Amino acid sequence: MTALQTWWHVVLTFLKLSLFSIGGGNTLLQAYHHEVVETFGWLTNRQFSDLYGLAEAAPGPSSMLVGLLGLGAGWKHGPVWALITAYSAEIAILLPSTVVMLIAAAYWNRWRDSPWRIAFERGLGPVTLGILFSVSVTVLKTANHSLIAYALSFMVCFFVLKTKISPLVFIGICGLAGVLGFVR
Amino acid sequence: MSLWSHRIIVERRQWMTSESFVTGLTVARLFPGPNQINMSVYIGSIFQGLPGSLAAVAGIILFPFTLLMLLGLLYFQFSAIAEVNRLLAGLAAAAAGMALSMGFKILEVYKTDYLALAIAVIVFVSLQVFRFHLIPVVLVAGPVAMSLYWPRGPGR
Repeated sequence: MTALQTWWHVVLTFLKLSLFSIGGGNTLLQAYHHEVVETFGWLTNRQFSDLYGLAEAAPGPSSMLVGLLGLGAGWKHGPVWALITAYSAEIAILLPSTVVMLIAAAYWNRWRDSPWRIAFERGLGPVTLGILFSVSVTVLKTANHSLIAYALSFMVCFFVLKTKISPLVFIGICGLAGVLGFVR
Repeated sequence: MSLWSHRIIVERRQWMTSESFVTGLTVARLFPGPNQINMSVYIGSIFQGLPGSLAAVAGIILFPFTLLMLLGLLYFQFSAIAEVNRLLAGLAAAAAGMALSMGFKILEVYKTDYLALAIAVIVFVSLQVFRFHLIPVVLVAGPVAMSLYWPRGPGR
């Protein structure tokens, strides 16, 4: 693939997925993995999980992983193309959902008693729930290659749910455990 | 995050009423797109329409995004270094745990709603066991779930 072809496929892929990022962003991880690793082979499984870890550890909105995936896709054409592809990928994933959000925000209160709005509010939650669990399984399998890594993930999950300790603490501890060579 | 922005936007700056802020939060959560981005789109649009939205999104994302892309470039340049790989393996394990906790948090809400749990299980099995793609699953499950939750009766 030439640099321009790669760019085109990246933009198209994320434009197509944008409107399906229901429930706040993470729901698309499995689809990203499918497109970026399995369909196009822009990244290896290992690189995908590395970039996911990087994006989650960095401050800022959750969709920034898409930029990193675009960066990875463009990397083989040099750093300049990588950056162009990265910014384009982020714009592609945000643009359609932003337009829909603008329209919805303008009309939401006018639809107060519409059955469409009520059904939409109630019905979408359970679908999101199913997607989130499916995404979690995919992420666990992609990120973890050893029993210790799985144990670490489950411990983080448990402590995030049961305590009020900041997630940053767990990111720090796991990062340290990683550097010291415990994770793999 | 939303508590903090409420304090600044509604209480201190008085840019909008608390009610329209809550409307924004609801729409931002329900509609596709990251919640924080959608919320900035909404707040920006209240002021200046489209240009306001674009400015708000740029404001919230441009700096962290550029920083992250520089980190990404470093990653692709230096990922052969063992320590970098080991650090990222640790970070990924933590992130996977947090992704899992999101599901459990939402599960709390639907603990006694068996219809919701059934829909969630069917969606999960289609994606994870049958390995259907997300787009067709959402296109089928979304309308089905909406019709199952369609308000009925005079009381609603």
